[in-house]
Amino acid sequence: MVLTGRTALLAALGALVVGLLLPSWAGIGAVTLPVLLGVLVDLALAAPVRTLRLDRSGDTAIRLGESATVELTVTNPSKRPLRAQLRDAWPPSAWRPGTAAAGSRHTVTIPAGERRRLTTLLAPTRRGDHHAHRVTVRSMGPLGLAGRQGSHRAPWTVRALPPFTSRKHLPSRLARLRELDGRTSVLARGQGTEFDSLREYLPGDDVRSIDWRASARRNTVAVRTWRPERDRHILIVLDTGRTSAGRVGDAPRLDAALDAALLLTALATRAGDRVDLLAHDLHRRGSVVGRSPNEILPAFTNAMATLEPALLETDMRALTSSALRMAPHRSLIVLITGLDARPIEEGLLPHLPLLTRRHEVVLASVADPRLDDLATARGTVRDVYGAAAAEQTRADRRRTAERLTRHGATVLDAPPATLPPALADAYLALKAAGRL
Amino acid sequence: MTLTTAGPESTTSVSPTHRQLWLRSRWFLLCAVLLLLVGLLIAGLGGSGQYPPLDPRSPDRDGARAVVALLEKQGLTTRTVATQDDLAAALAEPGTTVVLPEPDLLTTPQLARIAEVRRGSDSRLVLISPEAPALAALAPGIALATTPGGIPRSAGSTGVPADCPLPEADLAGHAELGGLLYQPGAGDTACYPRFGAYPLIRHTGPGSRELVVLGSGRLLSNDRLDKDGNASLGMGLLGSRQRLVWYLPDYAAAAAAGDAPAGGQRTLDDYIPRGWTWAGLQLAVAALLAAVWRGRRLGPVVTENLPVVVRATETTEGRARLYQRAKARGRAADALRQAARHRLAPALGVPPTAGEPDPAALCAAVADRSGRPAAEVHALLYGTPPTDDAALVRFTDDLDALERQVRQP
Repeated sequence: MVLTGRTALLAALGALVVGLLLPSWAGIGAVTLPVLLGVLVDLALAAPVRTLRLDRSGDTAIRLGESATVELTVTNPSKRPLRAQLRDAWPPSAWRPGTAAAGSRHTVTIPAGERRRLTTLLAPTRRGDHHAHRVTVRSMGPLGLAGRQGSHRAPWTVRALPPFTSRKHLPSRLARLRELDGRTSVLARGQGTEFDSLREYLPGDDVRSIDWRASARRNTVAVRTWRPERDRHILIVLDTGRTSAGRVGDAPRLDAALDAALLLTALATRAGDRVDLLAHDLHRRGSVVGRSPNEILPAFTNAMATLEPALLETDMRALTSSALRMAPHRSLIVLITGLDARPIEEGLLPHLPLLTRRHEVVLASVADPRLDDLATARGTVRDVYGAAAAEQTRADRRRTAERLTRHGATVLDAPPATLPPALADAYLALKAAGRL
Repeated sequence: MTLTTAGPESTTSVSPTHRQLWLRSRWFLLCAVLLLLVGLLIAGLGGSGQYPPLDPRSPDRDGARAVVALLEKQGLTTRTVATQDDLAAALAEPGTTVVLPEPDLLTTPQLARIAEVRRGSDSRLVLISPEAPALAALAPGIALATTPGGIPRSAGSTGVPADCPLPEADLAGHAELGGLLYQPGAGDTACYPRFGAYPLIRHTGPGSRELVVLGSGRLLSNDRLDKDGNASLGMGLLGSRQRLVWYLPDYAAAAAAGDAPAGGQRTLDDYIPRGWTWAGLQLAVAALLAAVWRGRRLGPVVTENLPVVVRATETTEGRARLYQRAKARGRAADALRQAARHRLAPALGVPPTAGEPDPAALCAAVADRSGRPAAEVHALLYGTPPTDDAALVRFTDDLDALERQVRQP
């Protein structure tokens, strides 16, 4: 049961009647009893809430930053018209900031036996699954004094996928990939590269790739061109442990890692390589294996949508063995993790030789631009100490990176905005060098 | 949970049915009813013990049962009267002490009627803290002691010496007297002087008809009776005649009958028309309805697990604060020098050996490029730590200047 402000207002106006005309218990009764009677009439005549039927339809998955439209169909099977306020409750992060109160409330009038469709506009601010909480209906009586209220469970889930903002870098990297196709005469030969075609010699081409037989058949000098290998295997390993939880700018490191992984996946799939994904901290958090090129990006974004940084120390030993099991043949293993000295030196370094023995390893890490700001700040004593601490941190990272490089890994350390293109470039460079 | 009364449509409803509500709340309701009953019972048992102050039946701290009991043990007969007629009869009796504990609560007609009664001989009337209207009606010779501004004077009740020829007071000696203070009329006996006025005055009329005015009834209360000479004075004042009559009218009934108290103590309530009290009650009903209106939310608050927010540079900033607190200038300078060397060496083509460029080669290259003396460059890049914070800031600026000079000679 709910009352409205109208009921309280009527009772308050009744105070005038009591004060001026009937200052007694009888006066109070004369005012309050009709009000209560009106409330009872409203309660009796309000359309029932319990028998309402609610169905949902609409978006189930969107990219983070886009808005989702979820429709709610309310059917009123009773014989009384429904005049109701309705609240479609979702978690706070499913709303555009500041619109949670207004966006969730609807006012509907549904005649007996009919139904109406309501539209709720969501704009999730967090990656992951957003579940509808419940729908609360307040059915008012004809006098507007009181009503019935009840809730229904109308389950629906909107999944906010990683935004993949680095998509904008894809066209330029694809162009570079196409250039690679025709230009491989300058590449070192004999690494299993694949013969592509013959073309005319241009100054700058490696003279060792001149095909003398073909040149003899035509009256120009011909060179052989090679196509980069296809069908290589790439395994992207995401470290979702505590180092991925640190905020860089306004998003955790993991979000930048996901972005970089998506760009690499899109690029490598176009280049004809197979890409698998593994997310791991103390345990395996998720993996995507053996998807066809058409469905790999949706599968990856879906798997990444629900990944959250765990405040745990990553078990590098388990991570390495999982990765080795998923990459039985020579592969490119891209490990996206932090470059903090202790976890790397105590966790990863003892197990790195297992990976580098058979695989090409790229270790990518999300750097924090704030560290550069700190290192260049000058002026006050506090700034100088901050700069010293930042330089210390950078030196530690550099030293860690050098140790990893000495073990045969390629190390990338770039801020969130430049990490995805840097990783794509590293991949293209490895491909051009025939090291896959 | 099985819902036997629910239809197939209600499978999505999460609101409890009436039956569920009843099952869930019946024990709470039962407990509430029990609590209410117990409360009423306790209130019913203990409610009869409420007495006004200085009531001869009251065993409370401010009651006067003790002094009455002492007097009864002395052989006095005591009784209470509640009506005007009984009071008039008691006043007319000879050899009687009549106590008016709250003369100010009596209305003007009541006071006039008491004053009209021809009192019996050898009697005594005790007025406890009367104010001007009661004094004017019953004790015309005695006046309230006032300050120059016309405000009645009063004093706290403390032990004071009797200092007067009244036998009861002389016998009692020290007693706790205070409250309102009075000025005696001609021929009156005034005792216990306080600030030039008196809290106890006896006026003797013809035929041994005495009138005693007492500034405060505190000395008669159960709580204070055993202090100083209070008991002696109280028994002397009340026990000088064989009969003691205590006037305990229903003051509220007299006021409700439309007679305002003569004392002039009109509260705010008296100025508000009676109807508006009822209107206020109706407003309270409206407030209750408004509370019900505002009290019901449109569905519960939705909660959500949010991720922790840890800035990635948190440890670095923490380290900076540690450096500053520990005044680790040497360590800070080392970090800055090392970073500068790492930036300068590749720019000048000095190859690193085991991660660090060769000091001599680097200093020579930097000196060559910047045109500064090699010793100065060496002091900047490999020198001693700064001695205070100002020196550290200066050192950092010098290092930056050197670096800029090398990059843009």
